[in-house]
Amino acid sequence: MRKLLATLFLIPIIVSPQSTSFDFRSPQNIKLFADNLFCEGDYLRAVEEYQSIQNILRNDTINFKIMFSYSNLGLYQISNNSLQSIPGTSKFKCSADYLYLVNKFREDPKGLRVFHDMPLPPEIVERRQKLINISYFYDAEFNFDKNYILSPFNDEIDRQTVSLLYDLKTDPPYKSPALAGILSTVIPGSGKMYVGEWGDGITSLLLTGLFAFLAYDNFKADHSTRAWIFTGIGAFFYAGNIYGSVAAAQIFNARVDFEFSNGLKLFLDQENYFLPDYDFCN
Amino acid sequence: MISVTKIFVTFIFISLVAVTSFAQDPFEEQFNFTKKLYEEENYFDAVTEFKRLLFFDESNNYSFECNYLMGLSYKYGGKFSDALLHFSIADIQARTKEEKFDCRIEIIKINILRRTTYKALALIDSLVNNPKYKNKSDEIKYWRGWAYIFSDEWERAATTFSEIQEHQLAVLCDSVDNDLYNPELAKYLSIVPGAGQFYTGEYVSGLISIGWNVLWGYLTINAFIEDRLLDGVLVGSLLWWRFYSGNIQNAEKFAIEKNLKITNSALRYLQNCYNGNKP
Repeated sequence: MRKLLATLFLIPIIVSPQSTSFDFRSPQNIKLFADNLFCEGDYLRAVEEYQSIQNILRNDTINFKIMFSYSNLGLYQISNNSLQSIPGTSKFKCSADYLYLVNKFREDPKGLRVFHDMPLPPEIVERRQKLINISYFYDAEFNFDKNYILSPFNDEIDRQTVSLLYDLKTDPPYKSPALAGILSTVIPGSGKMYVGEWGDGITSLLLTGLFAFLAYDNFKADHSTRAWIFTGIGAFFYAGNIYGSVAAAQIFNARVDFEFSNGLKLFLDQENYFLPDYDFCN
Repeated sequence: MISVTKIFVTFIFISLVAVTSFAQDPFEEQFNFTKKLYEEENYFDAVTEFKRLLFFDESNNYSFECNYLMGLSYKYGGKFSDALLHFSIADIQARTKEEKFDCRIEIIKINILRRTTYKALALIDSLVNNPKYKNKSDEIKYWRGWAYIFSDEWERAATTFSEIQEHQLAVLCDSVDNDLYNPELAKYLSIVPGAGQFYTGEYVSGLISIGWNVLWGYLTINAFIEDRLLDGVLVGSLLWWRFYSGNIQNAEKFAIEKNLKITNSALRYLQNCYNGNKP
């Protein structure tokens, strides 16, 4: 009888040794799964999982990862609200403080400057200064000394990039729309050539010249109807050439601004907003 | 004589054995829970739970099902690249030729939806050439027809659907094909200014085109008649020719635009009103 009972008792253990005891939703397993999602870059799901165990495991790494995930999702305000969950004694405090500043910068670059005297450890102060100096590039009025802007950047490649951005900001290669208009008034097409649109400029010159010639030639031959048709078309092309030159200069300037902002964004993305490299996934 | 206590203890043990032996495996439980989320069209949560199951399922028992259903969830969420990734993994994990076939068909459907129809057609060809799927030739042809629809080959789509007795789709594709304008014909008709525009039903544009060509043609010919050669050459080469070639390009453009409208309207009908299988 005893043997029979012992055998019966062992059956379930043999049949399913692990499965019956596995809990998908134990805090430890949720954490493991969330870490995997975080490393996959699935921040939205990772943050949901972390939040479900945030109050159970009370782990600074989890709190920082939540803050980091929200920042990567572009939810900067919510990310910054998570800062309170990271105590001053935590080893992530410095990183969290800096991430807070990065979030402020990404919300509004100029808004970061309010935090210029926030007490921070030296390595973070240097990163913050880099961001503050970069934030000046977003101002309409820009009259800073180049050495001042470059001062927090020690890496040679970074210095070269920031120096290039500084030059583009202080002396953008704009074209004057007024000058383009005047040039095209005097010599049709020359305004477009000034902006660099040589093909359009030559076409404008030829077309306006052609109609002017046709109008003149027909007036000379006493074909007044045809002459007036050509005069009208010529005048239309002439006015269009002036308007087109002014517009071309404005478009050129907008392109210069766009390329500057794009370059700035590319630089910040490449530098990851000067965030340190976190080793969460190795 | 067996005592009552012994009988009671035996009963308890047998009950325990029964309960633990037949209790649902937590992995199976998780899979069923996730599948339910999927069936309720709660795709975001379904994907989370499928990912959870895949992460902990070291034996890969649910790898095919999870990846296949994740693929479908992503597809319904419009995330075609993610869907393709999971269907491809499911294809590798498939245990039977039917499972493999289903994955391939889903991959084909995604390629049809993404309009990478050349990939869809290449995959369809590979299924056709595979002797394992000889008995699935109708289904393969059905999706070939859809691939032709999405690559704007309506005539071939109609032929393909006719071969498998899909009359509704065959008639629709045939009627779309009949309604389509031939851009090449529109271009060649425009040798007579305005004719291409008339062919595409753009009468006002056709009349304007005729007007411009008559005006510049008249001025050019008139200049030559009056021996004003320079006038004639300049007006003829720079103005008449410009409006004449513009008239040809314009007619071709109209035909292409009209075709786009016709095909979009057919696709909208298929999306909203057709009840059969759709990609």
